[in-house]
Amino acid sequence: MTELAFAWKALTASWAVPAAFIGVAWGIVGGALPGISPSIAMALLLPFTYGIEPVTAIVMLAAVYVGAEYGGSIPAILIRTPGTNAAAATVIDGFEMHRQGRGGEALGISLVSGLVGGIFGLLVLVVATGPLARFALSFTPPAYFALGVLGLSVIAGLSGKSLLKGLIAGILGFMIATIGTDPVSGVPRFTFGSPDLLGGIRPIVVMVGIFAVTELMAQAIEPAWARVEAGAARLKLPDGRTWRRLVRPQAIGAAIGTFEGVTPGAGGTIAAFLSYNEARRWSKHPEEFGEGSVEGVAAPECANNVVTGTALVPLLGLGIPGSNSAAILLGGFLLHGLAPGPLLFEKSPDVVYGLYAGLLVANIAMLLLGLVILTPCLWLVNRPKPYLMAFILALVVSGVFAMEASFFDVALVLAAGVLGYALRYFGVPTLPLVLGVVLGFMVESNYRRALVLSGGDHAIFVQDPISLGLLVAAAAVIALSLRREVKLVSTERPLSP
Amino acid sequence: MRRDLVCAALALALAGAYYVAADALPTSLLADGVGAGGIPKLLAVALGVLCVLLGARSLVAGAAAASTVAGIGDHLRALGVAGLGLAYVAAAPHLGYPLAVALLLAATTLYYGASLRLTVLVYALGCAAVLWLVFARMLGVAMPAGVWARLLGG
Repeated sequence: MTELAFAWKALTASWAVPAAFIGVAWGIVGGALPGISPSIAMALLLPFTYGIEPVTAIVMLAAVYVGAEYGGSIPAILIRTPGTNAAAATVIDGFEMHRQGRGGEALGISLVSGLVGGIFGLLVLVVATGPLARFALSFTPPAYFALGVLGLSVIAGLSGKSLLKGLIAGILGFMIATIGTDPVSGVPRFTFGSPDLLGGIRPIVVMVGIFAVTELMAQAIEPAWARVEAGAARLKLPDGRTWRRLVRPQAIGAAIGTFEGVTPGAGGTIAAFLSYNEARRWSKHPEEFGEGSVEGVAAPECANNVVTGTALVPLLGLGIPGSNSAAILLGGFLLHGLAPGPLLFEKSPDVVYGLYAGLLVANIAMLLLGLVILTPCLWLVNRPKPYLMAFILALVVSGVFAMEASFFDVALVLAAGVLGYALRYFGVPTLPLVLGVVLGFMVESNYRRALVLSGGDHAIFVQDPISLGLLVAAAAVIALSLRREVKLVSTERPLSP
Repeated sequence: MRRDLVCAALALALAGAYYVAADALPTSLLADGVGAGGIPKLLAVALGVLCVLLGARSLVAGAAAASTVAGIGDHLRALGVAGLGLAYVAAAPHLGYPLAVALLLAATTLYYGASLRLTVLVYALGCAAVLWLVFARMLGVAMPAGVWARLLGG
């Protein structure tokens, strides 16, 4: 009952409800703009949340994530350009339906499937996170160190095509985390005499740079977006007969979205494609897939919205962000002096249960706004790209300055953007870098604290059963990824002439 | 694969420089057994090893199929976006936020390919006004006033 009281208080005594609507509206618009991923849309809003109370701020950020997943399907269906990566699977049948004059129907299916997925993901989040966090409450410094190592081992799963490059990015992130005052001795490290660096580089600065500025730079050399015909589609909700056909693909999307969401590194894109594939396999009408199947739209859209809830399970329960969007949400927590993980449930239950309630409102807001926002959204997508990009850059530099009234932070964001662009050029994934920045401090400080407790004896890490279990799990994750990497390299090796 | 080699070489150089800087960190009387430079040195070594592995792998894998890549001009153009941001950082403390952000908006709009028209100016001034209202008035952030504060303040 206490939990319900916290949730109710968040909805009635804070600005969480309007924040959820604003977040969803911004998410839909951001998601509809090609190149603006959910994480970028969240990153752009992050500085605005600085002066807002924590519950409202976190709800607003999470609501952006919810809205962006639906927003991404709008250009996917209407102009064959997925607004988000996760909407790429929706292109296949969504655009085909639009070509057949059924674009409005596809948008309606996307909307209701997203709602079903979002609510299901929220239920999983509520049920799974509490027990996970309660278990993590018994963690000691060695266990926290091991948890950080497990979090870093996730890099293996986030590395895309190259584990080596993922590890390099993770270490680069860890290196950034070591800048500032040493957590044990207080010695300034890598500050080059700059007082601005004594407090270290905040993860949020790196995230906004890596996600938003890098994309702005990349967009400078990308061609203009395609235009959507005015009045191209009028949203149409599915009728009873269509609903019956949607149950099976939505169930598949929910199951796969749950698994992929709680697995760090998997995320909505993989969930959407897997769901599409499984929905086709289990469909009574597999021949319709690729030709404008309603099931082909419902399965991926349901799956990527399930992930908006389930991806928060490792974040809230253990403090480990498993996706770009979860990492930005983590940045939002840190910005308000909150550390996601087991202690969050003890110290700030109002934020946790307020977030649950806010996500529920956000999903309802997605349905309501989804019905009316299409026209303004299409208008915005049709604005010339230069004007939008200029506004986003101005928003970034203004927002980052607003956080600490520091031009140094603005310069750091731009530097992080250049770093992100260079990493993109070299094919190095950026999420491991963010993970390194976020977890670096936790790993180092708990490692050294544990050694101080044990008098320098490393056996403490294997004597603590939780630490041992987490380290074994981390080793298993790394071993599996290495195996995959070796397999990949051997299959990629060119044949001798 | 040449790109991987360049990546490995650059990261290796960074690892070397980082190791030297970590090794030069002063030792505090409060230091633990690991010390302020312990983890950084470990990271530098790990990065070095990974770079060697990446370089070796790229050599073993040989030349990859050519892919469509942006030219140097494109990359410089992308870097120009960061340059615009840095110009704003340099100018804003002197010009004040409203003027500096309006100039940034106009310059960026033109940089992304809009043609020089009155619309750009109106757009830049309008957006600057909106941003100033949001940050300075609604959120209460002390945005830089620049020389105008001195001039208008007498």
